Amino acid sequence: MAHMSGPPPIEVRGLRKVFRQTTTGQAVVAIDRLDLAIAPREVVAIVGQTGCGKSTFFDLMIGLEAPSEGAIHIGDKSPYADFDHFRGSIATVFQQDRLLPWRSALDNARLPLELIGLPEEEQRERALMWLNRLGLGQFTNAYPHELSGGMRQRVAIARAFAVGPDILLADEAFGHLDEVTAAELRDTFLKLARECGSTAILITHQLEEAIGVGDRIIVFGKSARLLADIHVREWDKNRYALLREAIQSTLQNNLADPRLASVP
Amino acid sequence: MRHEELRESVPVLTFPRQTLVSLLVFAVVWEALSHLAPYLGIPPFAIPSLVRIARSIATITPIDVVVTLARVIGALIVSFVLGLALAMAMYRSDSLNKYLHPMIRLLMAVPVVSWILFAVLWFPGVEFRIGFVLVVVCGPVFLVDTLDAMHGVPRELRHMMRSFRPTTLQYFFKLILPAIVPTIFTSWKVNISLAIRVVTIAELVGAVTGIGHQLSVAQELFSVADVFAWTLVLVALLFLLEAVVARAEARILRWRT
Repeated sequence: MAHMSGPPPIEVRGLRKVFRQTTTGQAVVAIDRLDLAIAPREVVAIVGQTGCGKSTFFDLMIGLEAPSEGAIHIGDKSPYADFDHFRGSIATVFQQDRLLPWRSALDNARLPLELIGLPEEEQRERALMWLNRLGLGQFTNAYPHELSGGMRQRVAIARAFAVGPDILLADEAFGHLDEVTAAELRDTFLKLARECGSTAILITHQLEEAIGVGDRIIVFGKSARLLADIHVREWDKNRYALLREAIQSTLQNNLADPRLASVP
Repeated sequence: MRHEELRESVPVLTFPRQTLVSLLVFAVVWEALSHLAPYLGIPPFAIPSLVRIARSIATITPIDVVVTLARVIGALIVSFVLGLALAMAMYRSDSLNKYLHPMIRLLMAVPVVSWILFAVLWFPGVEFRIGFVLVVVCGPVFLVDTLDAMHGVPRELRHMMRSFRPTTLQYFFKLILPAIVPTIFTSWKVNISLAIRVVTIAELVGAVTGIGHQLSVAQELFSVADVFAWTLVLVALLFLLEAVVARAEARILRWRT
């Protein structure tokens, strides 16, 4: 559950993640000496090409993977080493909704609340409130297969918000939806994240999405090293086309475009 | 809402016309053969008439049916609990899985007759012998089926669940167990049929009650009508148990439709 004092800051220091290929035993560097800091309540978009280690970073942030070197600290705790400490304070939205097919929309939305041991009545009330906020009040008893892709993703968002997390992580959460639904859901997600005062980290490969949602855009090169750290609000909206071009060039050349350094 | 309609729809036991026709044809052929038997050089007792079979059915002793049914249900419940508990332990511990898996495969390869002989040689009590044979035959089937299903739970769902940091018990009871329920039902259906066949053989050796014992008596009396009658009871029991499981399956797995 969210801290009364607001979410803790996130600090990534010298983060390195190396995997060993099962068949060849060859080492693959997924993340290479990554340093970054994310302030409480910041909305950050992480952008990078496919295979640049974005999803590995996501897993490290959730605490499902251990860093090979370096550390991630949320406040003074590690999401991996202090795994249980973050129960109810980190929530995730994935590319696919990942709803449990045997549970209704309401029961899916209250899953994290069950895990933190809230009384059943409170679980229902909170899950229902979030489903209503996401426009699913009429579909609380529907099973996932009875809902459209967009509706299922709304349930997944309700599930993430229901627990009142300090940190919200979204991994390509809107990428598989049609443009209109994706834009609508993205706006809802951001509005709710800001209302709740959560720190939000959105991982995406779509530049428009990154520019549209983030207070800040972090550009990952291959393999997940920091190519650029852009504070979007410092950019004039009229120059977003230039920003887009510069990020694109950064991604293509795997090298920070000089135009990103000179904020207009 | 579509789902609300679906919740009400549980399958009813249907008896299609084709089944009725094929059963009638079989009955007519059987009856004709029973009358023609003396002219074909077949002893009259080998193909009794339907009236004679009906008389045998009328003399069925319900206590034997109840005893066999109780043995089957009791042994299936014990097998399921043991199989599931061991599968959960093997899922949790990779080294336990590696040690036990070959042994389970070995147990599954032993013929039922060998288990019956072992039971007769090892245990003095008849009930324990029958229970042992049923559990040792059905338990591994439950174990292997549920363990395979646990390993088959989609990675995406496991990943999602772990991201919310459940305890080990929550992980099992909120994800793994509900995810394998369809396999559990399939395993029950397979094991009911297996248990009905195995209990009959087990009761043939040493039991003084149950359908297997009555079949043994019928064989000693050269009464094909009695064998037929008791076999019909066994088949009916199998269908009844399968129907109960199918009904529970339709109710519990309504989310799949």
